[in-house]
Amino acid sequence: MSRNRLWSVIVFVCVAMLALAACGGTAPAPSGEAQNASNANAAPTSAAAESAAPTSAANDSGATAPTSAASDSGAAASANGTLNGVKLPDDAAPADQQVYVVHYDNTSDFTTVDFYESVYKRGGAVSDVLSDSLVRLDKNFKIQPGAATKWEVDSSGLVWTFHLDPNLMWNDDTPVTADDYVATFRYGADPKHAWDFTWFFQGVIKNWSEVVEGKVPVDQLGVAAADPHTLQVTTVSPAPYLPAMMLYSDTMQKKALEAHGGLYNSDPATSVSSGPFVLKEWRKGDRLIYEANPKYKGTNKPFIQKIVVIGAAPSTDFASYQAGEIDFVTGSNLSPADNQIIESDPELKKQSHPQPNDFRTDYLFFDDQNPPFNDVKVRQAFSHVIDRDTLIQQIIKPSQGIPAYSFLMPGFPASNSKELSSIQNYDVAAAKKLLADAGYPDGKGFPKITLWLRNEAPVRQAVAQAIAASIKQNLGIDVEVSNKENKTFTDAMNAKPTQIQFGMVSYGMDFLDPFNMLSVWLGGGRHNWNNAQFDEMVKKAASFTGDPNERIKMFQDAEKLLVTEAPGVFIYHRYQSDLYRPYLKGTELEPDQNGVAAIHWPGISSFSQVVSSIYVSKDVANFDRQLP
Amino acid sequence: MSTVASDTPAVAPSEQYRPASNLWRDAARRFRKNKLAVAALVVMILLILTAIFADVIAPYPYDYSELADALQFPNAKHLLGTDSVGRDFLSRLIYGARVSLAVGFSVQAIALVIGLTFGTLAGMFGGWVDYIVMRWVEVLTAIPIWLFALFLISIWRATGTFSGGGLFNVIVAIGLIGWVDICRLTRAQLLSLRTTDYVLAAHALGATRLQIALRHLLPNALAPLIVAITLGVPTAIFTEAGLSFLGFGINDPLPSWGKMVADANSYIRVYWHLGLFPTLLIAMTMLSFSFVGDGLRDALDPHLNKA
Amino acid sequence: MARYLIGRIIGLIIVFVMVSVIAFFLMHSVPGGPFDEEKSPLPPAAKANILRKYGLDQPLYVQYLRYMWSAVHGDFGISFQSPTESVIQLIARTWPVSIQLGGLAILVAFSSGLVFGIVAAIRQNSWIDYVVTFISTLGITVPNFVIAIWLLLIFSVRLRWLPTGGWPTEGSGNWKAMILPVITLALGPSALVARYTRSSMVEVIRSEYIRTARAKGLSEQVVVMRHALKNALIPLITILGPQIPNLITGTIFVEVIYRIPGLGKFFVSSIYLRDYPMIMATMLLVAMLWSFTYLLSDILYTIVDPRIRLN
Repeated sequence: MSRNRLWSVIVFVCVAMLALAACGGTAPAPSGEAQNASNANAAPTSAAAESAAPTSAANDSGATAPTSAASDSGAAASANGTLNGVKLPDDAAPADQQVYVVHYDNTSDFTTVDFYESVYKRGGAVSDVLSDSLVRLDKNFKIQPGAATKWEVDSSGLVWTFHLDPNLMWNDDTPVTADDYVATFRYGADPKHAWDFTWFFQGVIKNWSEVVEGKVPVDQLGVAAADPHTLQVTTVSPAPYLPAMMLYSDTMQKKALEAHGGLYNSDPATSVSSGPFVLKEWRKGDRLIYEANPKYKGTNKPFIQKIVVIGAAPSTDFASYQAGEIDFVTGSNLSPADNQIIESDPELKKQSHPQPNDFRTDYLFFDDQNPPFNDVKVRQAFSHVIDRDTLIQQIIKPSQGIPAYSFLMPGFPASNSKELSSIQNYDVAAAKKLLADAGYPDGKGFPKITLWLRNEAPVRQAVAQAIAASIKQNLGIDVEVSNKENKTFTDAMNAKPTQIQFGMVSYGMDFLDPFNMLSVWLGGGRHNWNNAQFDEMVKKAASFTGDPNERIKMFQDAEKLLVTEAPGVFIYHRYQSDLYRPYLKGTELEPDQNGVAAIHWPGISSFSQVVSSIYVSKDVANFDRQLP
Repeated sequence: MSTVASDTPAVAPSEQYRPASNLWRDAARRFRKNKLAVAALVVMILLILTAIFADVIAPYPYDYSELADALQFPNAKHLLGTDSVGRDFLSRLIYGARVSLAVGFSVQAIALVIGLTFGTLAGMFGGWVDYIVMRWVEVLTAIPIWLFALFLISIWRATGTFSGGGLFNVIVAIGLIGWVDICRLTRAQLLSLRTTDYVLAAHALGATRLQIALRHLLPNALAPLIVAITLGVPTAIFTEAGLSFLGFGINDPLPSWGKMVADANSYIRVYWHLGLFPTLLIAMTMLSFSFVGDGLRDALDPHLNKA
Repeated sequence: MARYLIGRIIGLIIVFVMVSVIAFFLMHSVPGGPFDEEKSPLPPAAKANILRKYGLDQPLYVQYLRYMWSAVHGDFGISFQSPTESVIQLIARTWPVSIQLGGLAILVAFSSGLVFGIVAAIRQNSWIDYVVTFISTLGITVPNFVIAIWLLLIFSVRLRWLPTGGWPTEGSGNWKAMILPVITLALGPSALVARYTRSSMVEVIRSEYIRTARAKGLSEQVVVMRHALKNALIPLITILGPQIPNLITGTIFVEVIYRIPGLGKFFVSSIYLRDYPMIMATMLLVAMLWSFTYLLSDILYTIVDPRIRLN
C-alpha cells in the first residue's frame, strides 16, 4: 500500500515537471511560442498581406501621399476619405478600425486625467487630451506651438507673453480664454488644493512659492490675462527654459472648475473638453474611453477616432499584445523573459522600437554626509566596480538600455557622455586602490550595508543584485539588497537628513532642459549631497540668457563636477524599446533626426504631436486584432 | 462510541497502567512498518541536513555571481542552471532550504504552541474563557499581515535598527498571526469530544480537565491538526516571500524558496528552471510533512494495531 | 439560545471597537503617509495644507474619535484612491463583482473538493487517491499568481480560446472571461477541501462505529453519507468557513491579472497607498464577515453534532 503512495510522489514530480515544461517549454527554442502566435496572426488574411505592405516604404515628410498600393483597393479608400473633418491618409484603414487600445497599470494609484489635479495620481497610458497645452513637442523634441500660436519675452527677460489661438473652443461652445489658463495656474498654486507638483514652478513663476505657503493670496500669482487671448507669465529670474516648462499647461475650464471642483473630468456628465478628444466613459478600475472631439478647433486634430484605455497588470501586457488585444506595450512593462522572446522572434523584433523615452537614468546614491560615504574615494571606488556593459548584455538587454557613466543621456541637451565616460568607468584595480586609500583595504572595517530599492521591476532588482555581488566580490564589502515598498522608501528618502544610506533610483526629464535633470542634485533637493559650487553653477546656467552654446557649456561643467564627486553612480540610461503593431503609422512615428522611429515621449497626449499624426493603416487586415 | 484501544483496560487508560516507554516503543514499531512515512521521514531529514550542511554540499557560495553566465539552463557546470544574476541555482536552492525550512518549521511550531494552548483552553473550559479567546481570534483575523509587518518596520525604525528584517523577525511576524487556524481546529474538536462517554468516565474517576484534554482529547483531534500544520508550511514559506515585497524580511543575496518562486514569475516563460525547482522543493517539503504526519497519527492511534 | 446570541452580538461590538483601535493606530504608525510623493518632497507649507485639508493634522485620538463618530452615523469618509465617491459607494461598486467571482469559486471549490475528498477516502490508496493528492499538492504549493499567468498563456495566448481578462458587467466582456479567474481562485480552496475531507473521512471510516454500522449490514452508501461524512464535517466547517469571507472579499492577484474591477485589490492597495479611510473600511468589513462566519460555524457545530452545546 505505501509503495503505491510512494509512486504517487514520483508521478507527481514527473507530471509537475512535464506540466511546467510543456507550458513554459519554450526553453530550447524560446522563439517557438511567439513564432506560432505571430503566424496565427498572419494566417486568416494572408492574401491581403502583400497589397498593403509596400506602403510602409514611404519615408518621412508629412505627405505619405505616394502610397500607390492604396489605390487598388479603390472603393474602400474613397469611402474613408474624410473622417470627423480630417482627411485620412490614403493607406488608412476604415473608420471603424481607427481605434487605439492600450493598457494602464491597474496596480497604480489613478484618480484623475488632469495634470493640474494631480500629477502622480494622473491616469495611465493616455491622459491630458482634454485641452491643449500652450506648447507641444515634435518627434525631435523641438517645441512647437500648441494652444499658443506664438510667444515672446520682454527685454528684462522676466515677462513672457503667450498669444492664444483664438479659434479654440470648449465643447460646450464657450471660447478658451486666458482666464482659463490663469484659473488653472492659480488652482495649482492654491494652498487649499495642495497640488503634488508645486515644486515644479517653485523659484520660477513669480510669487508661486509664496502663494503655496499661504503668505500671499492666489491673485498675486505671476500669471495674468492681458486680454482674453493673451497670457502673461512673470518669472522670478530670467528663465529661458520657461516655454519648455509650459509643456505642462493643458488648461482646465474655469467655469467647470468653479462649478464642480478639480475632479470635473472624472465623470462624462461634467467633463468638458477643448482638446482633441472627449471623455466618453470612465468605468473606475476597469477602463476609460475617449472619442475624437468633433468640436475641436486646434491644430492637433487626430485620425484616431476612439481610444480605449484598459486597466491591467503590467506583467500581462505582453500576453495581451500577443493575443491581439492591445496595440502598444511600453518597454518598461516587458519582463526579461518577454524581451528574450521578442529578441528571438524576427516578427516581434520588427515591432520593437528603441527610443530614449524621457531620457531616464538609473543611478546609485549615498548618504554622503556620514561615514563611510562622506569620503569621496569610497563613492568613486563604488563607481568603478560596475560592469555596465555586461549588465546591459545579460540583464537589461541592449533593446532596453545603454550604459551610463554620467547623468545626462546622449541626445539630451548638454549631454557629454563621451567625454565623461572615463570618470566612472569600470576599473576594478582603481576601485581597490581608492578603497584602500580611504582606509578600507579589501573592505576591512567597512560596515555591512543595505542597498534600498523603491518597489522596482524585476529587471532592476536583478541589476541591483548583480551590483551587490560585484561590490562583494571586488571590494569585499557585504551588501544586502532590499526592495522596499514605495511609501517606506519615499518617506525615508525625503526625510532630512535622509535615512537611506545607500539606494538606487532613477530620474527622467519633466521638460527638455539640462536644468530640469540637474536640479535633482541641488542642495536640499532629492539627495543629501550639498555642494555649493555645483548649486551655483547650475543656477547660474539656468538663468543665463546669452549664447545658448555657452549655456550648454556651463551645464556640462556642472555635470562634470557631479560625475567626479560621485554623489551618484550612474548605471544605465533607459533607452527602452516599446512594442507596437506595424499598422500604427504616422509621420511622427517615422525616423527623427537621430534615426529613431518610435512613438516618442510623451506619447498620446496634448503634449505631443503624435496625437494628430498616428493612424491605423490597412496593414491591420493582416493581424488578428481583437477590438474590445 | 469509545475510541479507547481494546488491548488496554476499558476505562480510563492512563500511563499508570501502561508505561510510557512501552507506548512510544509501540508507536515507533508501528511507524517503522509504514514504509511511505519512513521514506518521507528520510526525505525530511535529508532536507534538514541539506540546510544544516549547506556550506559543505553547495558547489558554489550562494552569493557568488558570474554575470557572464547569467540565465543558463541546467548544464554540466551548473547542474540546475543559473539565475538572472549568474549565481549557481543549485547552490541557491541548497542555501534556500535554510530560510524556507526555518520559516516553515518554526512558524508552525509557534503556531502549534500558541494555537494548541488557546484552543485547548477555549474548548475545554468554555464559558468566558472561550468567549475571550474567540473574540481575540476574530480581532486577529481582521488584521492583515502586511499592515502588521509594516508596523514592525516602523518599530525597528524608531528603535534604530531600521534596515532590519532578518529571519527572526519574519518568523515572529508570521507566527504571531498564523496560530488562528490551529486554535480554532483544536477548540472545535474538543467541543465535539468533551461529552463523549470516555471523557465523562475519566472525569468521574477524578482526572482534571487539563489531564483529560491532554491525554484523551488532543490525540483524537490529531488528524485535522496534522493537515493544518502540513498546509501551513507552504503558506508560511510564501508569506515570507510576500513580505519581502514590502522590503520586510530576508534580503537578497540570501535565498529562500518562496522568494525564488516569486522572483521567477517574470522569467519562467523562457527560463522554466527558475520556477520549477523551488516549486518542487516546496511541494516535496509539504508532502514529506504530510506523510510523516499521517504516519505519526496512525502510529499513535492504537486501534490500528489490529489492522 | 437567545442569551447566547445576545452575548455574541455584544462580542461583535467589542471586536469592532478593538479592530478599529488597532487598525487606526497601526496604520498611523507605519512609515509614510498618503501624500508623500515620489519625485521630490512637498514643501512643508504645502504638506501642512494637505494634512489640514484631510484633518490629519489633529492628534491621533481626536482623529480616531472623529472617525468613529462619523462611522457610527454611516459616514466612512472618502477613499484617497477614488476621491469622487464615498467609501460606501466604492465598496458598493466593487464588492458585488468580488462576490460573484468568489461565489462561483466557492461553488466550484466545494463541490469538486468534497467529491475528490470523499472518493479519495473511500478508494484509499487507489490511483484516484494519488491523483487527488497530486492536484491538491499542486493547488497549494503553486501560488495563484503563477497559476493565473500560466492559464492565461495557455488558453488566451497560445490556444486563443478565452479572453485574457475582463469581467462581464453591463455591456462588456462575455461569460468566457469568467472561466479562468474562477478556476484560478477555486484551485487552492478545492485542494484544501479535498485534503480535509479525505483526512477526516479516513479517520472516521476506521473508527468502530462505522465498523458497527457496516456490520449491521447497512449499505456502503448509507454508511458513508449518514455516518462518515457527517462526522468529518466538524473540521471542514472550522477550516472552510473562513474560506468563504476569504473568497468573496476577492484576491488581489487574480483580480489584477484578469482585470476584474473587484474589491480584492483594495485590501492591499489601501495599505500600500496609506489610504486611511479605505484601510479602516476594509478591516471593519473583514472583521464583520469573519465574526459572522465564526458565529455561523459555531451554530453549525450544534446542528452537525448535537453533543456540542453552546453556552
